[in-house]
Amino acid sequence: MQQVAITLNKRLVSGHEGMTVLELARETGIEIPTLCHEPYLKPIGACRLCLVENEASGALLASCVTPITPGMNINTASPRVIEHRKTIVRLMLASHPDSCIVCDKGNRCQLRQIAAGLGIGDTGLEKIPQPAVVTEINPYIIRDLSKCILCARCIRACQELVVEGVIDYCKRGFKAYPATFGDFPLEKSECTFCGACVAVCPTGALMEKEKPYQGTTRTSVTTTCPFCGCGCSVRLEIKDNRVVRAVPGRDMLSDRGALCVRGSYGYDFIHSADRLTTPLVRDGESLRAASWEEALHKAAEGLQRARENYGPDSLAVLGSAKCTNEENYLLQLFARKILGTNNIDNSASMYQEATRSGLGASLGFPGTTNHLGALEQSEVIMAIGTDTAVSAPQVAYAIKRAVKFKKAKLIVIDPRQTKLTAFAQIWLRPRVGTDVALLNALTKVIIDEELMDIEYVSRKTEDFNVLPLSLEKYSPEFAETITGVPADDIRQAARLYAAAAKSSIVYGSGIAGREGGAESIKALVNLAELTGNIWCRGCGIYALQRENNAQGAADIGAVPEYLPGYKRLDDTQARRKFEKRWQVNLPLKRGLSYLQVFRQAAEGKIRALFVVGENPAVSLADTELAREALSSLDFLVVQDLFLTETAKMADVVFPAASFAEKEGTFTNFEGMVGHVRKAVEPPGESLPDWTILLRLAEAMEKPLPFANLKHVMEEIEELVPHYEGYHYEEGRSGWEQRRDSCWESLNGFVRFTKADFLSEKRDTAEVPLTLIVKPSLTHFGSGERTSRSPRLRFMPPGNFLSVNAADAAELSLCSRERVKIVSAAGEAEAAVEIDMQLPPRIVSLPVSFPGIDRLFSLREKGDHSSLTLNTCNVRIERIAKNV
Amino acid sequence: MCNVQKIDQVDMGQVKELVENYKNQKWSLIPLVQQLQEELGFIPPETVPVIAGALGLFPSEVQGVISFYAQLYTEPRGKNVVRVCRGTACHVRGGKTILKLVKQQLGLEEGETTEDLEYTLETVACIGVCALAPTMVVGSNVYGNMNPKKVGQLFKKDGGRHDEKP
Repeated sequence: MQQVAITLNKRLVSGHEGMTVLELARETGIEIPTLCHEPYLKPIGACRLCLVENEASGALLASCVTPITPGMNINTASPRVIEHRKTIVRLMLASHPDSCIVCDKGNRCQLRQIAAGLGIGDTGLEKIPQPAVVTEINPYIIRDLSKCILCARCIRACQELVVEGVIDYCKRGFKAYPATFGDFPLEKSECTFCGACVAVCPTGALMEKEKPYQGTTRTSVTTTCPFCGCGCSVRLEIKDNRVVRAVPGRDMLSDRGALCVRGSYGYDFIHSADRLTTPLVRDGESLRAASWEEALHKAAEGLQRARENYGPDSLAVLGSAKCTNEENYLLQLFARKILGTNNIDNSASMYQEATRSGLGASLGFPGTTNHLGALEQSEVIMAIGTDTAVSAPQVAYAIKRAVKFKKAKLIVIDPRQTKLTAFAQIWLRPRVGTDVALLNALTKVIIDEELMDIEYVSRKTEDFNVLPLSLEKYSPEFAETITGVPADDIRQAARLYAAAAKSSIVYGSGIAGREGGAESIKALVNLAELTGNIWCRGCGIYALQRENNAQGAADIGAVPEYLPGYKRLDDTQARRKFEKRWQVNLPLKRGLSYLQVFRQAAEGKIRALFVVGENPAVSLADTELAREALSSLDFLVVQDLFLTETAKMADVVFPAASFAEKEGTFTNFEGMVGHVRKAVEPPGESLPDWTILLRLAEAMEKPLPFANLKHVMEEIEELVPHYEGYHYEEGRSGWEQRRDSCWESLNGFVRFTKADFLSEKRDTAEVPLTLIVKPSLTHFGSGERTSRSPRLRFMPPGNFLSVNAADAAELSLCSRERVKIVSAAGEAEAAVEIDMQLPPRIVSLPVSFPGIDRLFSLREKGDHSSLTLNTCNVRIERIAKNV
Repeated sequence: MCNVQKIDQVDMGQVKELVENYKNQKWSLIPLVQQLQEELGFIPPETVPVIAGALGLFPSEVQGVISFYAQLYTEPRGKNVVRVCRGTACHVRGGKTILKLVKQQLGLEEGETTEDLEYTLETVACIGVCALAPTMVVGSNVYGNMNPKKVGQLFKKDGGRHDEKP
């Protein structure tokens, strides 16, 4: 890029072509006040505060929109500039209410900061009265238009960052104001309450409504969001040992200063009155408070006894994808070294195992292959089986930005309408469970029409020969009979995908969490390999994770089939390395998966269980199985924030610290390691999970050799591939790009694998409809945390059974009528909602629907890879009305 | 003026057909809404999501543009737009009374439209024929030297033809 030299405040400086004067000044360390400027938003030069004088021409220029040109002689603070700047601020203040003393924006108000900086107290102008117009009734955002300075930061954040476009200017001149379509209040608009507008508002016009503290806090800690797999960086503002506000952390490149409703308003659970504050031990029927010594002793004794009586494999540890990498490391060490079993798993595995085997088989590495930033460079994005706007909002923002501003084309494969479908160029709606046939047909079209990247395939891939043969039957016409997607649409999608130089695939639990998931993933990897879209910029496969640290927990080895770093249990060399380091003989037998633990517990083979941060009694799709399993145990230890339904059944309960009360790291779905920082003290006697684990190991008289967290991190660095140098220093927050080494290793060979899966024909005469479980933005995981964040309850997912209009007519159902939903496993009752957007024969219920678990049975059938967790076959029965 | 039917329900089929011609062309927003207004007489708010969807814009963005321009209307307009001049010359010659009488005659306030969609009342700052003050414009016809009697004749039930030269 061409360098351009200009004179800036009498100094000769140079920047690259296209840079604005403001950018160059800030880079040089010269501060220019701005109100409408925001690094991630397109500059619009609205506030005019950033004006500077070009002494070469005598012109006053808005520096945020003025590119540097040779020969410029810029003075950022000439008397003329200062005079004009002061006038602008005085005019702004003349129509701004004098409510600074009571305004909650306080010292965070940029208008006030700038006015103070310029020494403007009295404007010397007659006031233009601005009546306070406060309209909102939602619990998130309060808007006072009298304080609005029309900088359009909220509008631009809504349009450019999160691409919801809920608000824009309405009317003109003095009458202009930001408004939703139809000028409805936000809660009646498309607003998702992500809080991006509040985070960028420079004045008190947009503020958080229900907040525990008025004013500006002195301390803040940048940490990592504990909800979905995006792992956004979030800054917690702290007052008196209380988290009072969460704002975008801006440490991570991809989050660009926007969170979602969970990140912005979901932290209230930290200070919930329901938090456990002391350890509890069972005393007959009830639990009573106990000292740490007593609880640890009792837990150690119970686990030891089970081990002695029934052997190590009668024990199991259920870790959590919500715990940090360090805690997961200690957990697997605890299971393998102290208990002597590989029975360690977490609930995210049920959705992740398909990724581990699918991606692992083809790429040799089970995870997302590129940065989220690279996704935005794609020309074509294929989103399959993911309601991204709900399950991974940050990814949805990136996809929408790519489509809206970078002309990317989006192919959505989903039977259900989602936020993304409105942005899609092609929307394929296959029948539920027919993804493999569809993906294979796409692949076949690409091969048959010779649209593939022959050079890439011949140089970088192996086993191409298996492909054409295995795809023989998957002609688009055949796929049409299976999937219901017109053959021409399949051809069109394949051509679109193959024609682009850079294509990405994003997939989520819609394919990973169902029967044949691994095959679908293999099929989509084939598709990506065929077109050379695995690794380079703008290409990649993005495997979305449901939980914030699902990727980390698996990387770190808290899974039954792998040692840390995906080393197989039968890999003698790797085993020896770990055995030497840990000074132990590792168990050889593959451990039980999350689901198998419950099945075996119900059969009496698992006698003692240690559950950390999970609530299977509620969150397992089949809660009946979970409860039966838990109640047949001899001994149950639960470690959690709350007295969950699972904890209520425990013999010993340890109170754990939340993400805001401990240190550590989370690995997000991209493979970026985000630091978790302690913001507040844990309530009562609760302790971070890792401390509890170390103390429990001590109580079992097999102490683990770590004095502090740093030692654990050092060992992870040493033993876990790709975590080298993820390194953690006191007082640092931020992100480490640990995956670079993996991505580089990916640049090597990849392999084509046969993907073949057609779900067996089942007799569906009894249960002709397919029920899809709909994810919800405000109900996350088992809802332990989100249900204790009062503000998130404001947007409850409507607890209705959505039914397609044609099906409703056939069954002569009317809206709001209560019906019985019957599946092979059980039944539930719900009120009907007619949904015009659903395809025929498909009904859907929100994940938070009480009793939805009764419709699923996990008792029979295979393991994680053959489970279908988000759909099942049902029929609807009318409830005879009482006359 | 425009070809106005009494609109109870907007013919969305017609709207969609119109919008289809401009699909995926962001630049075409203004010509499109102008044409829509030409056809329907105004831009019904329920057409905004259709326009936004076709052009790849947000409904709030489209609303922003429509509300910016004074010539774009989101409410039905009368077949005849009555513009009474409020300029200085007309004011001195009794323009205020003329406006009052027109309001009485039509039963409208400024900016309103009669229920039968016959008339819309507006005021203008000056129409440039101060020599004929007080003046008013109905449809495309200019009426000068107005007086109460003339106002009465103008809005007689049967005399409502304003598309011919007087």
